[in-house]
Parts: sequence; C-alpha cells; structure tokens
Amino acid sequence: MTITTTAPAIELRAVRRVYGTGERAVTALDAVDLRIPSASFTAVMGPSGSGKSTLLHCAAGLDRATGGEVIIDGVSLDGLTERALTKLRRARVGFVFQAFNLVPALTAAQNVALPLRLAGRRPEPGEVTAMLGEVGLADRAGHRPSELSGGQQQRVAIARALVTRPAVLFADEPTGALDAASGREVLRLLRTAVDRHAQTVVMVTHDPFAAAHADRVLFLADGRVVDSLAGPAGAQEIAMRTAALEEGVRAGDVAEARR
Amino acid sequence: MNLAWQMVRHRFAGFAGTFLAVALGVAVVAGATTLYLSSQPETPARYAGSAVLVESPESGEYELGRPHHRPWPAAEATALAGRLAEVPGVTAAVPDPSFYVQRVVDGRATGDPEQSRYAGHAWSSAVLGGYRLSAGTAPAAEGEVALAGAAPGTVVEVLTVAGPARWTVTGTVDGPGFYVADAAALRRSAGVPVIGLVVDGEPEAVAAAARAVVGADGTVLTGDDRDRLEPGEVTRTRWLGAQLLIAMVAIGGFVAIFVVSSTTALSTAQRRREIALLRAVGATPGQVHRLMYAETLVVAVAGSAVGVLLGAAVAPLLAQPMIDSGLQPSIFTVSVQPVALAGTFALGIVVALLGVWSVARRAGRTPALDALREAEVSKRAMSPLRWVAGLLAAAGGVALLVFLPNLAIQSQATVGMGAAMLLLTAGALLAPVVIVPLVRVVTWPWRRGATGMVVREGTLTGVRRVASTAAPVLLTVGFAMLLTGTVATITEVEGAEELAKIPAITVATADGTPGLSEAAVAAQRGESQLPTWVHVNHGGTVTGYDAVGRSDAPGLVLWPDTAAEIGAAAGGTVSLRWPDGTLGTLPVAAVDADAPAPVVVPRDLARRHDPAALTTAVMLDGPPRPAPGLRTMSARDYVQLDIDREERIIDIFLIMLIGLGVGYTGLAVANTLLMATAARRSEFRALRLAGAGTGQVLRVSSAEALLAVGVGTALGAAVAIISLTGVREAVEAELGIAVPLVVPWGASAAVVGICAAVALLATAVPVLRRR
Repeated sequence: MTITTTAPAIELRAVRRVYGTGERAVTALDAVDLRIPSASFTAVMGPSGSGKSTLLHCAAGLDRATGGEVIIDGVSLDGLTERALTKLRRARVGFVFQAFNLVPALTAAQNVALPLRLAGRRPEPGEVTAMLGEVGLADRAGHRPSELSGGQQQRVAIARALVTRPAVLFADEPTGALDAASGREVLRLLRTAVDRHAQTVVMVTHDPFAAAHADRVLFLADGRVVDSLAGPAGAQEIAMRTAALEEGVRAGDVAEARR
Repeated sequence: MNLAWQMVRHRFAGFAGTFLAVALGVAVVAGATTLYLSSQPETPARYAGSAVLVESPESGEYELGRPHHRPWPAAEATALAGRLAEVPGVTAAVPDPSFYVQRVVDGRATGDPEQSRYAGHAWSSAVLGGYRLSAGTAPAAEGEVALAGAAPGTVVEVLTVAGPARWTVTGTVDGPGFYVADAAALRRSAGVPVIGLVVDGEPEAVAAAARAVVGADGTVLTGDDRDRLEPGEVTRTRWLGAQLLIAMVAIGGFVAIFVVSSTTALSTAQRRREIALLRAVGATPGQVHRLMYAETLVVAVAGSAVGVLLGAAVAPLLAQPMIDSGLQPSIFTVSVQPVALAGTFALGIVVALLGVWSVARRAGRTPALDALREAEVSKRAMSPLRWVAGLLAAAGGVALLVFLPNLAIQSQATVGMGAAMLLLTAGALLAPVVIVPLVRVVTWPWRRGATGMVVREGTLTGVRRVASTAAPVLLTVGFAMLLTGTVATITEVEGAEELAKIPAITVATADGTPGLSEAAVAAQRGESQLPTWVHVNHGGTVTGYDAVGRSDAPGLVLWPDTAAEIGAAAGGTVSLRWPDGTLGTLPVAAVDADAPAPVVVPRDLARRHDPAALTTAVMLDGPPRPAPGLRTMSARDYVQLDIDREERIIDIFLIMLIGLGVGYTGLAVANTLLMATAARRSEFRALRLAGAGTGQVLRVSSAEALLAVGVGTALGAAVAIISLTGVREAVEAELGIAVPLVVPWGASAAVVGICAAVALLATAVPVLRRR
C-alpha cells in the first residue's frame, strides 16, 4: 500500500447520523471513520438499509451529521451556515444521482454551465463544449433532457458534475436506472476522470459489476464500515463478499429475533 | 434572470395560471379605473363661452362630496350681475336661472325627465354657451320661446311647473334648451345659482377683480374649477357608477391576489424536486429565492401588459351599457387614462410578487436532499406562518363583524365586505385543517370500494393540492352567497316596511315627466306633497333638510330628531332659508314622529318659495282626471315601481360583481385542476397499470375534484353565513326590528353547480388526453 502525501479529499471522523428521537431513534451511521484519498475511485456497497446512502449524503454535505466531523478538501462542515455549505458544495463537490439529474427547462449545455452560473462565473468560451466533448455529447449541446436518452442524460450529468473541477464527485447509483451498455459507458467515464484528471470519485452502488471499476470497495452494514477490498477487485469477489455480508445480516436478524 | 426566462419559457403551462390570473385581474382593475377616472365632472357645454363663472355661496353641509349652496334671490342676482358687468374685461354678466320645461308632442312629454328639470333658461344666458340665433328674433314677452329644431312662428306645446302651455317660437337657436325672456325665466326658477361672465381679457385677472366685487356673496370659478357646476343629477349618476367601479376594483384586486398566490403555491409545490436539484448543484437559498421572484416578474410583466391593454380596449365598450343602465350620464365618454394604466400595470406586478413572497421563502429552504426523493407526498400542509396568518385573518374578520352595529351606517357596507374578505382569506388559509376530517367523514361510506379508497388516500396525502382547488370555490361561493344574501335581506326588510304602510288607494303620478305640474295636481281631488328643501340656521351652523309642502300643514311640523338638532320646540319659531334664496321665519306648529318628511311646511308657502318644485304623486280621493304627463295606478304598484327601480340598479350591481367573481374564480378552479391533474400523470399511469380502466381513473379524478369543490362550498357557505349574521345584526340594531336572515339558496346552488361543472371538465380533459 502506497502512502499518499496529499491530504485526503474527504475525511469522516466518528460520524453518526441518527434519525428520529427517543424510542423511535434509528442509527443510520454509527461512528464512521473514513479517509478518502485524492484521485481515487471508491465504491460503497452494502445491503439496503446499511446506511450507504446516508454516508454519501453526510460526506457530501447534503445532510448534516448528528455527531462527529466531516472534512471536505480540508474544510470542516461543522458550524457552516446553509449558505456557506451550499457554496462549499458548489465549489468542491459534484453530484450524479440515479435519475432526475437535469433541469428540464435547460439544454444540455445550459445544464452543464449551471453550477458555474450559480457561482456567478461566466463559462469560458469552449469550456462547456469541451466538457460535453469529454463525455461524447458535443453534438447534443442544444438538446433538452427530454430529447436525450437515459444514458445520454447521465453523461450530461457527469459533465455538469465535473465542470467545476470539484474535489470529489459523488455518484449515487449512477447506473441504477440504465441498461447495461449505457451503464458501462457511464462507469468508463468515471474511471477516465480518475485516471486522466486525478478526479476523486465516491460511488454508492449495489451492483458488483459497477463496484469492480473502483480502486477500493467499502462494505457497510448496520451503519458501520465492516469490510473493504483494495485494488481493482473482480466483480465475482465483490459479489461473494456482498453475499456473505447479507447472510451475516440475516443471521444477525435471526439471532436478534430469537432473543 | 436568464435562467428565470428559460424556466418560464419551458414551463409556460405551469406559469399560465399565474399569467392568466394577473392578466385578468389587471384587466378588470385597469378597465374599472379607466372608466372611473374618465367619469369626472365636466363644465356643462352651456358654459363653454363663459371663462369666469360665479357660483352662489356655500352654506355648510355636504352631499355626495359637494357643498350645498344657497341660490341668490332674483333681485340679489340681478344687482350682483349689474356690479360684475362693470368689472374691466367683462363684456357681459348674465344671471343663469334654470327651470323645468318639457315639449309635448302628440299629448306625450318628450325628452329625458330628469334633464328636463334644467331645460329652461333665460335668453341672455345663451351667450354663455356661445349659442346664437340662426333665424328669427329673441324672445321678449311671456309665452315666447327660442329653441333648436323649430322655425320662427311655429307654436309648440310645452309642459311647465304651472301646467300645459302653448308657446310661440320667435327664434331658432343652435344649441339645446328652451330660452325664454329673462324676466319670465327668473319668475319660473327658484333663485339663481350661477352668474356667468363673458370676458375679453385674461380670465384669471378678471376673476381676481370679480372676487373683489363678489366678496362672501359667491365663489368665482375659472378653468377646470368650473367643472363643479355640473348638474346634480349628472353627478349623482356618476356617483352611482363609481360605486360599482370601486366595488369591481376591490373585488377584482382581492380575487387577483388570492388566485395568484394560490396558483403560485401550487406550481411551486409541483416543482419541489426541480428546486431541490438546483439546491444540490449549488444554488443558495437566496439564489432560489431570487429565481422565483425573477420568474414571477417575467410572468407578471407579460400578464400585466396584456391585462392593461385588455382593460384599456374593453373599457370604451362598456361606456354605452353603463349609460343605458343609468350608471353614467349620457355625456359620458371614455378617454385613455395613462395614470390608471401605469398604476394598474405596477399593481399587477406588485400583486404577483406578493403572491410569490411566502412561497419563495419556503422554496429557498427546500433541502437539496429532496432531489433524491421520488415520492411527491406533500409535506406538512400547515406551516406556522399559515397558521398565524389564518388565525389572525379569522380573528380580524370576526372582530369587525362584532363591531359592525356600532359603526356609522355609511361605512357598514364597506367594513362588512372587509370582514368577509378577511374571513374568506382565513377560510382558504385554514382549509387544510378542515380537509382531513371532512374527507374522512365524506368518504366513509365508500371506504371499501377501490375508487373510494384511492380518492380517500389521494386527498389525504395531497391536502395542499385539495386546498388549492378548494380555495377559489370557497371564494366564489362565499362572495356570491354574501352579496345576494345581503341584498336579499335588506330588500326584504325595505319591501316589507314600505308595502305594509300603503293604503288601498289609487295614485296619480308622473308619466315621462320628472313630476306633476300644478295644473295636473289641481285637477285631482286628493292629498299631495310638494317636495322641496330648506336650510335652517341653528347656532351658526346651516343644515339642509328635505321638506314637503302639504295643504293640511298648520305651520312648521318637524320630526323629533330634526327638532332636537335645530333646538326648536312646538310653539317656538324657526328661521329658515327657502330654495329661492329668501329668508323666512315660521312658527313650529307640531313635533310629530309620523310626519312624512323631516320638515313639513304649508303647501302654498313651499309653492311660492320654490317655483321649480314638482309634485311627485297625488293620493286620489276621487276619480282621476286625465292631464298631460300624468298616469294613475294602485298605490301598491306605485311603491313597487320605486322598489323595482332600485332593484334594477342593485341587480346590475349583483350581476356585474358576481359575474366577475364567478368568472374569475371559475377560471382559477379550472386552472388549478388542470395543473394538478396534469402533474399527476404518473400517478394515474400507475393506476392504469394496476388495472384501472379509463372510466375508473376518470371516476377517481372526478371524485377528487368534486370533493375539493365540496370542501370549498362548505367553507364558503360557513363564511357567508357568519358574515350575513353579522350584517343582519347590524341592520337589526339600525332599524330596531327583527330581521329574517335570507339565505339565497337558489343563487348559491347555481354558483356551486357552475364550479362543479368547471371542475369536472378541467379534470377530465387532461385525463382523457394523456391516454
């Protein structure tokens, strides 16, 4: 394992997230410590309800942790106002969701330029086109989302997420709503961003094939990181680990029920 | 701003509701204010040639915003005119008495009865209008006349205060009116209200010199100030029209604010995910806030512009109908009113921005995380702001109603309407609270069926959507019930009161004339009253009273409160001023609460001091004798005639205002439902996938729409009945008699029916189209 000299892109220190209060309280994240190095591709996996989406929301500053500290690109989210948090997200974080990523009223190019414009910056000539070119959609700049296929929409979303050169790009099940070919294309684009532009990517997925594109796979269960796989791992191995994890959870459930 | 423009362009359907609401609201207000401002007093055409006019002095007391005047007695006017004629720059100073005359053709009086009260003039006053003889000579003796449309030498039949007469035409005039010899005119009129000056110098300079001559004996008017001399009848008509226009502006404006804010709220709720996405990609709450304002501004500017143009275009078309309905004088013309249009344009924008205000604040706080949530389940239906505003409005409305009986009767209508508006707003704001239990109760019988279940759950989870649809229905039903109910309650009281007092006799009354001539009255056997007025000076203040002359009056008879006001008692004396400007002193014969008017004077005195007065009616004691301008009818019909005349005007008001309200809110109902149903396409698709046929989907959507209409109706009716009870209390306190509460079920049912039909149509269209 190489020791990175740069600061981590994301650091989580004892992050807890509890929903509800009192008797009904549900702990979605339980004291998670995590360092995501720059220029890495991390996949987060786990059975549903394991807290993987909550982890992504907290790490990205979309949701606030109940306890602990989240540091994005060296900036602690502790005590930031909603406005400051928004500005931080705008400058250092990019998002790709499973679906409904684009503003329907705007063309592909306008959607890509949106984060820049929201930051009060006029895109430089060619900047947006170049970005669209990188995702292979330079010829679709003037199309609206309704005129693009699901895969194309997702690629526009990647272009938009990358246009601000964020410290981290978060992807929440980016291939969840796509067919296999489109999904592969999206994953290839994410991989390229890491390899060619030293982009940091964190992706939540339940698909072992998607996770196989990552440098590191983290497995979550009951709000804790319970396992990790370093280096490019095969989909097969990831699937086996996941299966084992789900078995474990089930066994735990059964044990709990018996008590 | 660019983003806002893109949004509006793309989602025009979503903004169409706001656009229409703003455009129509602005059109109504722009049209009404244009008409209102166009209807300003004008200098009568017959003073066009007189740059300086002297009006008889004011004598306290105001009526319709105009001071009351005491005319100069004929001798005083002639003397004053003589002194004014010597002012440098004055070429003529002409006393201008007016009197009643109507031409009779084939035994029937012709021309507008009310205007004929002022149709007769002194010949020398023709010069004030710049009128000249086109043929013949000026009238010089009694029985001679100059007028338009008759050749010198012809004999015309006329009707005057004295009775029918035959006048010889000596000259043909190029202006309207009957011109007789000056002395004859002075004899026929009650005093002189105006002296006109023809000047050949700078009017202001002449006016200044004239003021020195007149002193406190009159008011010298130049330029636009001369507009004050518009005849009272014309001003009264304008006033009546103004009441309707003011009500239209109030209702139009209120409904616009209401509809704009509810459509904006709905469209924003529908865009929650999109706004959340903007937040996720880096829009700060402030940016979302500004985006919403910018979008609304784009829509509002377009809507206001269309509305202003529409209002300006439609206003002239309403001029003739208003004249025909007696709501504007016949000289009324509509002119472009830049101030009204600019003001309304700005108003439309302000209203739209106000409508978006609370919504934008909430939208700005949308968590970015919402972009990831698929479900469109409404959040909490009641925000704290909504609770506070709703309860405040309800409390304010109830408080106003409670205080209503303590207010002056003139302000009761306005305050009552204000209370109703507050209660309607409260109803709309608090609607979500009522919707949940109401829906549970209403759908209970059908809870087992699939349709019932879907409707029940759909409405319970989409409380805000139901509230948005119910709001315009609430407004329409509330307004319609309240307006018709108030009028019905009041007319029921009036009608019952008046009809109860009528004895079973026959009445002779005017036929195409403003009243009965002396000759017509003298020919009949029976009792009559001569309506006139007197000014009473009591302790330095002058008050005008309606008075009647009666042949059986033993002297002055006063109402108790009139007597109290002027500090007189039976046996004392009262000094008063007659309509002809002369002063008199009369002994008070009696104080009688049953007297027919505040002041009753002997008929011969009234006749002598008000040569222009015309008798309204004669209660016949024997068989009627025919006379020109006279017809007979039963007393009941006669009173009914009066009530009908009043009701006709009230009906016009009601039709205009309810039509406006129902039209506007019907549009809002259609608009909210179209928006809501279109946005639920995916929900309906899921229903179809679950095996529902088009008929079933239609049943679900229609049932939901009807439910919303039902909720709105229930709330609107509640508000209306609460307000009506308040109005009834006030009327009872005023009249001191028990007043039945009249609830206009028929009109209300019609309005609800229209709302339901519109709602059904508006839901069915998107469901059927999106197959």
